[in-house]
Amino acid sequence: MKRFTKLTAGALVLAVPLALTLTSCSGSGGGSGEGDGDETLTVWTWDPAFNIYAMEEAEKVYQEDHPDFTLDIVEVPWDDLQTKLTTIAQSQAFDELPDIFLMQNNAFQKNGINYPDLFSDFSDSDIDFSEFPQSVVDYSTIDDVNYGVPFDAGTAITALRTDVLEEAGYTVDDFTDITWDEYLTIGKDVLAKTGQPLLSGQAGSADIPMMMLQSAGASLFDDEGNPTIVDNAALEAAIDTYTQLVEAGVLVEVNSWDEYIGTLVNGTVGGTINGVWIVGSIQTAEDQDGKWAVTNLPKLDTVSGATNYSANGGSSWAISSTADVDLASDFLGATFAGSTELYDTILPKAGAVANWIPAGDSDVYNEPIAFFGGQPIFADVVKFGPEVPSNNTGAYYYEARDAVSTAMTQIMGGTDMTTALEEAQANVEFAME
Amino acid sequence: MINKLRSLPGYALLAIWALFSVFPLYFMAVSATNTSKDVLSSRMLPGTALFENIAALFSTQDVVGAMTNSFLIAVGTTILALTVCSIAGYGFEVYHSKGKDAVMAILLLAMMIPFAATMIPLFQLFARVGMVNSLWAVVIPMISTPFLILLFRQASRSFPHEIIEAARIDGLSELSIFARIYVPTMKSTFAAAAVITFMMAWNNFLWPKVILVNNSVLTMPMLTANISAGYVTDYGVLMLAVLLSSLPTMIVFLLLQRQFAQGITGAVK
Amino acid sequence: MASDVKTRTKTASRRNQPPPLNNYIGDRKPWLSNTRRRSLTGWGFLLPAALLILFMSFIPMAQAFVLSLQTGRGTRLEFADPLWYNYERLLNDDVFRLTLTNTFIYLIIQVPIMLALALVLANLLNNPKLRFKAVWRTAIFLPCAVSLVSYSLVFRTLFANDGFVNDMLMSIGAIGGPINWLGQPETARFVIILGLLWRWTGYNMVFYLAALQNIDQSSIEAARMDGANAFQTFWYVTVPQLKPMIVLTAILSINGTLQMFDESWALTQGGPAHQTMSMAHYLYEVSFQKNPNFGYAAAISYVILMLVAILSFIQMKVGDKRD
Repeated sequence: MKRFTKLTAGALVLAVPLALTLTSCSGSGGGSGEGDGDETLTVWTWDPAFNIYAMEEAEKVYQEDHPDFTLDIVEVPWDDLQTKLTTIAQSQAFDELPDIFLMQNNAFQKNGINYPDLFSDFSDSDIDFSEFPQSVVDYSTIDDVNYGVPFDAGTAITALRTDVLEEAGYTVDDFTDITWDEYLTIGKDVLAKTGQPLLSGQAGSADIPMMMLQSAGASLFDDEGNPTIVDNAALEAAIDTYTQLVEAGVLVEVNSWDEYIGTLVNGTVGGTINGVWIVGSIQTAEDQDGKWAVTNLPKLDTVSGATNYSANGGSSWAISSTADVDLASDFLGATFAGSTELYDTILPKAGAVANWIPAGDSDVYNEPIAFFGGQPIFADVVKFGPEVPSNNTGAYYYEARDAVSTAMTQIMGGTDMTTALEEAQANVEFAME
Repeated sequence: MINKLRSLPGYALLAIWALFSVFPLYFMAVSATNTSKDVLSSRMLPGTALFENIAALFSTQDVVGAMTNSFLIAVGTTILALTVCSIAGYGFEVYHSKGKDAVMAILLLAMMIPFAATMIPLFQLFARVGMVNSLWAVVIPMISTPFLILLFRQASRSFPHEIIEAARIDGLSELSIFARIYVPTMKSTFAAAAVITFMMAWNNFLWPKVILVNNSVLTMPMLTANISAGYVTDYGVLMLAVLLSSLPTMIVFLLLQRQFAQGITGAVK
Repeated sequence: MASDVKTRTKTASRRNQPPPLNNYIGDRKPWLSNTRRRSLTGWGFLLPAALLILFMSFIPMAQAFVLSLQTGRGTRLEFADPLWYNYERLLNDDVFRLTLTNTFIYLIIQVPIMLALALVLANLLNNPKLRFKAVWRTAIFLPCAVSLVSYSLVFRTLFANDGFVNDMLMSIGAIGGPINWLGQPETARFVIILGLLWRWTGYNMVFYLAALQNIDQSSIEAARMDGANAFQTFWYVTVPQLKPMIVLTAILSINGTLQMFDESWALTQGGPAHQTMSMAHYLYEVSFQKNPNFGYAAAISYVILMLVAILSFIQMKVGDKRD
């Protein structure tokens, strides 16, 4: 035993440093800027089933006209990606950047304003940004310059279990183009007749009120970047509606993302309101096949400028400052901003709905989806896209969102709404000092 | 009979705590054999989805690569850390002086600063010497930890200095005394330090994530994070990844347990 | 020195060794005498470790301190006016004060329970007459093999509203309806404390076991023969000999708890409205999730550093006496 341990120890002491060095040699290619071979681009993005798959298909499309082109796609979770970008920017190590990276729309302003050195703009590219919904392009526009190509649509939908509705005597049409008051009434009725709430959401998460806010064309910041949390009629209406939904039991609050997905997959709730990307999670519940339908959102009737459309999340492709800008913008322009073929391919497999308006005209988009009772949900969603009002996020979006979440937790616990919102505004102003 | 009764509370406490310790791990193992849906409804019995989960995991992630990298990092760090810190701890204790106490106190300060604060300056340092993305860059900051030095110093206090004196008289050099007398004697301390360092290096999440910028080199914690970051998370696959990630550390402990036991017989008398 | 010479001469004559290295030429000691050489060797032993710490910890720490005196967003940093602006701001930051309270709650409740439990368990395990020793030891230490993020995920699933803990408690009739563990501040903190205990007790137990195996068994046998019972032996004979190790684990636990990050981040995500967020988690949030304010984050880290330093200093003074 002793000799064996000694031998293994000795062997390890020799072998490991060698292995470390060898792996380092292959791993440290440093950055991936221009010197990386003529027609190769590196991409950082997350989610193999969705974003990475889309990029792989885009590569194939571009290769039809550019056979030497290759993509080096690296999987990087969003949190991770944000940390890396911040680290690189703070230490000025821009060589480490990839050519293209995906960025959450909500974070675009923050990164663009704080770290402009990370980005290249699209002013020299041929991309026609009017082919994307204004609200989505606005996220990646800073001082009227475009820094991102919109990709994954965060367009919001109301997804409903048709069998639950039927049991209570309703159909999807009863939920289309309605107001929140009507939604609440129907929701209570469905709850009484079937025992199922229509909605679930994470406690303390501001997702649903934020969607309501955006649907009325309102934001948490004004054009100068000042927080508008107090005296915000739309926000107050949104929170008020949310409170009523929870009190009536129509919306059930859970404590984590996993639990939220659980309520959908286990059939605890009869529907949800979220970005269209939620259908991927819903579809993992195979026993619910054919029992869902999709429609637009209720509107905040008491507020002027209210619409039935909103968004949650969504992301855009950005080109880094050390990239081969011509190649990258040509690639993005030919694929995500120019190829119906691409969008047709990725839609059925990944449910990746295009922001790009021309994509919605294709046949693939108009195909009925069995899981959703034969409804061509993707065509419908693309039609929602241009109707979504813009949302001013600003650099302090996450602070404001957090403050509103805290306020909501307090309001749900009984605090007066005005007091809670005043505190939230004070917190944001403090954070902006 | 009376003796057995007296030792009952002891056994009871051990049993309760052991059960409490193992249960979440049991849940983790069982979840790895279930589908995502079943995991979310907290199913407690093993299911039949193990092979599905394995297939899904290995086809979407480079598990072998991540395991290899984590292994290299963990073993490399452990070997280097044990060498550097044991000799430092020995040095602090056996060659004790007021000056060394002062140095020790200063070094202890180093472990009191949260990592998130030194992350960026450290990254800058490695970026300047061009070592970003290398496994060495992951290992080097983890080698010298004040706590490991402290461990060896504290443990060395039980090591009798008379033996050292006798060895000096016998003409051995200081380094030989350390290597030939101290090291074999303090086996249980080395074993404990090895287990702790291996685990710390294996489970280290934040620093590898930051320094391995282009993600072409992955560690197991990074791989697990990748899985939970998608829009749709398969919780069965996630638990499987967590399980696989925890197995090596468990095995290391099981192997070195015997060293603990051997340490008793070889202990200083 | 004279006695040394005598011993050496004796040994030399016994063994016919060549004369020792520090032959005196005349009366002058060569500069590199044994003691000096030993002292230098001693310092040499410390060198690699100390150098590494200098470069990997101290220099970044110094840079972080300079950062804490600067304000601004992103890379547009400039020295604050007054210099200690960030620290002043911390005093007015409600969220920071909340995270400070949270962290101290964890510290005061969790650490003493954990160390006491680890000590008792280690002592039980050290008993030569104990049966199934390997089973207990393995089971109790196993939690340490799991990464912090992994076990946080498992605990989060177990304590979910429709999770196992609620199901079990309801089925044995202990509670009427599901407890919203992670949705209320008190219960959420409880879950974190439970998680910390679960994860780290075995870890400290290992330290104590290693120390127990290095102490003198004869002192325990002597006490037993003098008629002391198990508790008295434990308290008056074993524990004092473990003092160095107890101080060490106490310092490590204080350090670890004050810097706690992963549990707050993965288990509760800071809990309902920052109610379970730890200071280090807030630091991370300010740096990477919110609008990056690295000067402020650095200031937070220095506050943590000062707290840990003060507490550890007190610990060492109180517990650490060289015999």
